Amino acid sequence: MKKISIDPVTRLEGHGRIEIFLNDEGEVANAYFIVPELRGFEQFCVGRLAEDMPNITSRICGICPEAHHIASTKALDDLYRVDPPPAAKKLREMFYSAFFVADHTTHFYALGGPDFIVGPDAPPAERNIFGVLQKIGIDIGREVIECRKRNHHAIQLVGGRVIHPCAGLPGGWSKALTGEEQREIQLIAEKNIAFALRSLDLFRSVVLQNPEYHDLMVSDAYTHRTYYMGTVDERGYINFYDGRVRVVDPDGNELVNYHPRDYRDHITERVESWTYLKFPYLKAVGWKGFVDGAQSGVYCATPLARLNVAKGMATPRAQEAFEQFYATLGTKRDDGSYGPVHYRLATHWARLIELLYAAERMHELIVDPEITDPHVRVIPTETPVEGVGAVEAPRGTLTHHYRTDERGILQKVNLVVGTTNNYAPIAMSVKKAAQTLISKGTIIEQGLLNRIEMAFRLYDPCFSCATHALPGQMPLRVRIRNQAGEVIRELSQY
Amino acid sequence: MIKKTLIIGLGNPILRDDGIGIAVARELRKHVREHEGIDIKELSVGGLRLMEEMIGYDRVFLIDAICTGNAPAGTVYRLSLRNVPATLHSSSMHDTTLACAFEAGKRMGFDLPEDIAIWAVEAEDVVHFGDAMTDAVAAAMPRVVSLLVTALEPMLSHP
Repeated sequence: MKKISIDPVTRLEGHGRIEIFLNDEGEVANAYFIVPELRGFEQFCVGRLAEDMPNITSRICGICPEAHHIASTKALDDLYRVDPPPAAKKLREMFYSAFFVADHTTHFYALGGPDFIVGPDAPPAERNIFGVLQKIGIDIGREVIECRKRNHHAIQLVGGRVIHPCAGLPGGWSKALTGEEQREIQLIAEKNIAFALRSLDLFRSVVLQNPEYHDLMVSDAYTHRTYYMGTVDERGYINFYDGRVRVVDPDGNELVNYHPRDYRDHITERVESWTYLKFPYLKAVGWKGFVDGAQSGVYCATPLARLNVAKGMATPRAQEAFEQFYATLGTKRDDGSYGPVHYRLATHWARLIELLYAAERMHELIVDPEITDPHVRVIPTETPVEGVGAVEAPRGTLTHHYRTDERGILQKVNLVVGTTNNYAPIAMSVKKAAQTLISKGTIIEQGLLNRIEMAFRLYDPCFSCATHALPGQMPLRVRIRNQAGEVIRELSQY
Repeated sequence: MIKKTLIIGLGNPILRDDGIGIAVARELRKHVREHEGIDIKELSVGGLRLMEEMIGYDRVFLIDAICTGNAPAGTVYRLSLRNVPATLHSSSMHDTTLACAFEAGKRMGFDLPEDIAIWAVEAEDVVHFGDAMTDAVAAAMPRVVSLLVTALEPMLSHP
């Protein structure tokens, strides 16, 4: 295969672009997912006060400001060596659960929906939110919007501001919850549980009971045997807000289990010439390229990954859904436990199980009498040096790392954002999807864009924090090059 | 009944020229008194979320950055939902386009304005973090503010 180097100017195109390289036999040799990257974030932050970071970092991205806000606030707790009071921790986690409900709902109905609810081979004109509405009905569509609205309202009540929350402080939260607010949010959480249960029912009836969709979900084209990463509590159950990071191998055996503060001992980044994006991989295993298997340090950090590293879900109905998930798709190991599920399209199902968990967890926290305790802050007294904070963002483990001088002025900032963890798996999934429709130089154009879109959409990629919000409706462009590097076909949704 | 007008400055104030929409919204507050009939919001969202923010309004004015690459930085475009090529924030990977979300919202029966008036400013740098806009885009700001004040005139005198 002729090697093509892509210069930085070419790289900086305002569209998501996929480059597929064919070999001499006309088979897919490589597929690259190329997105522009924002730059200069660290320089922008250095010299500023660390305590401004929860507000600055929540501006990085319009999609998950809440995730950055909480990760940043936790990094400040660590920086100032201060342990927030129980009410503050509960408020933060409850707020964060509301965010998860809204975010996972959006993904399933507005983004994943076209793939499963409308269908992978439906005409492009129907593979959108209208097609979803057509299939599930206007009433469920309205429920989706209502679900988003009520959770955005809860986020604003607790977080202090619409869209960019501002309540996170080192050592706690700026505002205690009133009894009236508690009652209002309790109703929201109850509706969320009912909504999540209905969404899982919908998935069962539309996807699981449709043999065609089921077969697609478990097909080899969308299967990768990689390592998995996620945050678990002290009992080994999924926790979005806090815990230890657990990584398992493709057979489900634990590779590492570490405090987020030690992330650099376990994760390092691979630089490739064709993109500014860096590819994180597991240090202990090493980089072997964009390949599957226990020998390859590629890992995945998604809803599916989180289920795969966890013993179960910490809430009862989500646990039932978890058990059904593994009973349907899992493989029993010698000790009776289930090994990881490697079917990438099952990530959509895993996301709905997480939606139910987030709804139940939000309810557990809001009915806890301690959540209205007015004591929501411990004033930091330690001299700051270095702090790391991490959460599970909807799209993967999110880590903020700050170093400051003794006045708390930032000297170093490093963020590992959710989607970043999945750069290598996304590239691998795109390649595999392309291989199913390109063979011996024959390119089946019909369906190629759909299949590739499905391959990366399941990761719910959001490049807004590493890159700018891209223009257009899934601005997917695919360029296919022959062995000489010449563009032989260009496909686009426009 | 009073007609309700919403002015939305869209963008990211720490991403250089992407901050133009927010900067214009802030400047407008000096010229346009918010009252029962007029709200000014600073947002950095797209698609469904943007549509949801417009529910209940009769008229919406939206200001955003755009990267067409076809005109010099600072060029001001007057667009509507029907001819918008996709301004920087009207769409995102995690959401649908505004036009799509807007149409979906209407089909679902939400109370949305008939159309949206969009002012988009051609941006030069939206990939570097920084709180200062480029000179060309900063220079366009008074023009955009003045265009908006003129467009808002009827609503100011007869809310």
